[in-house]
Amino acid sequence: MKLIPTGEMTLGPFFPREFAQGANDLTTVNGRRAPGEVIEVAGRIAQLDSRPLDNVVVEIWQADNRGRYDAPDYCGWGRAATDADGVYRFRTIKPGATDGRLPHINFLLLYSGLMRHLQTVMYFELGADPVLDAVPAARRQLLVARREGATYRFDIRLRGEDETPFFDD
Amino acid sequence: MPAAHPAPLDRRDPATQPQGVVEGYAQTSQRWPAEPLVRRPQTRSELSGPQDLRRRLQPVRADLAGQGAKRALGQLIHLRARVVDEDGAPVAGAMVEIWHCNAAGKYIHPNDSNDAPADPNFYGAARLVAGDSGLIELRTIKPGAYPVPDSGGWWRPPHIHFSVWGRVWLSRLVTQMFFPGEPLNETDHILNAIRDAAARSRSIARLMPTERGPANALVYEYQLVVRGRGAAPQLP
Repeated sequence: MKLIPTGEMTLGPFFPREFAQGANDLTTVNGRRAPGEVIEVAGRIAQLDSRPLDNVVVEIWQADNRGRYDAPDYCGWGRAATDADGVYRFRTIKPGATDGRLPHINFLLLYSGLMRHLQTVMYFELGADPVLDAVPAARRQLLVARREGATYRFDIRLRGEDETPFFDD
Repeated sequence: MPAAHPAPLDRRDPATQPQGVVEGYAQTSQRWPAEPLVRRPQTRSELSGPQDLRRRLQPVRADLAGQGAKRALGQLIHLRARVVDEDGAPVAGAMVEIWHCNAAGKYIHPNDSNDAPADPNFYGAARLVAGDSGLIELRTIKPGAYPVPDSGGWWRPPHIHFSVWGRVWLSRLVTQMFFPGEPLNETDHILNAIRDAAARSRSIARLMPTERGPANALVYEYQLVVRGRGAAPQLP
């Protein structure tokens, strides 16, 4: 028997505020501190007319510095929501290279007006990586975060100039 | 020793998934990318997922209808939803978030500008964890329809929002469930953004025979199919 995955639909404008809060720190789980370098990952999300978007739900999935996604002292999943300035923020562990991949963080966006979720990937630098290699060369730099002190800044443009590359699987 | 991960997931049939830009839903043309989505290979990064999301998110509220004098207004319903993969295998332990408006069509949310009244006994948000059979059950009230502001007369039919985690990162599913026999289903820009009629019909819950359910509630059944096949058998 082969079932067809349920059709996705937009998150809509009324995702409960309480659900969007409280899961944007990946440095601890159940009171245990993950090993590795603590960094902040933050950025602004904007639409075609450049307006920053508030209450975008941003989910991430990433390995830790040893390439582990899930371990007794680490859980590589987190969620944040953008504020009134369109800015999301995570406190996390800088991921290591693993399985032939460059260090990277998977991003998933949910929002009113997005009929289904969007997926993108944040990198720390360009290099050989099977997912990055799938992106047209001229657009790869758009997936690389800018370093600002202890913060890696990864802005996301849903549509328009310097539109972020998004993935389909 | 890296943990084994599942085989790559099957690609989805676009006809069973919504279009990105939808006429009549203005925000979609501001937000859906203009560039084509990039097809990428699936690696361990996309084919893994948290073993237990309760390490990040706590289950809350399995009953939105309330009891006695604190009962929410509206038609009491009992919702039985099953989370399965593309093989029909239950996704045991799947986390599911559910939210919907009250019987008058009002959400408890600062973004909701509709002038319908709030119900002090209704708070429309639950987070549940499926049992071994992939089943989640929610006692609640049937949500109302409501107009979408500045949309030229678009009304949303009664619907319930679901956010579901499957076994891996690529199995994430956020969707909406509709009710059978609702005339507004025919004109809803969200339901009808899915071109395939059979796929649309699978987003509509099934009303179960009233003789067999609880005396005071209508029972609806629904199936949430997340991406993934060939779940590894449980090791002893």
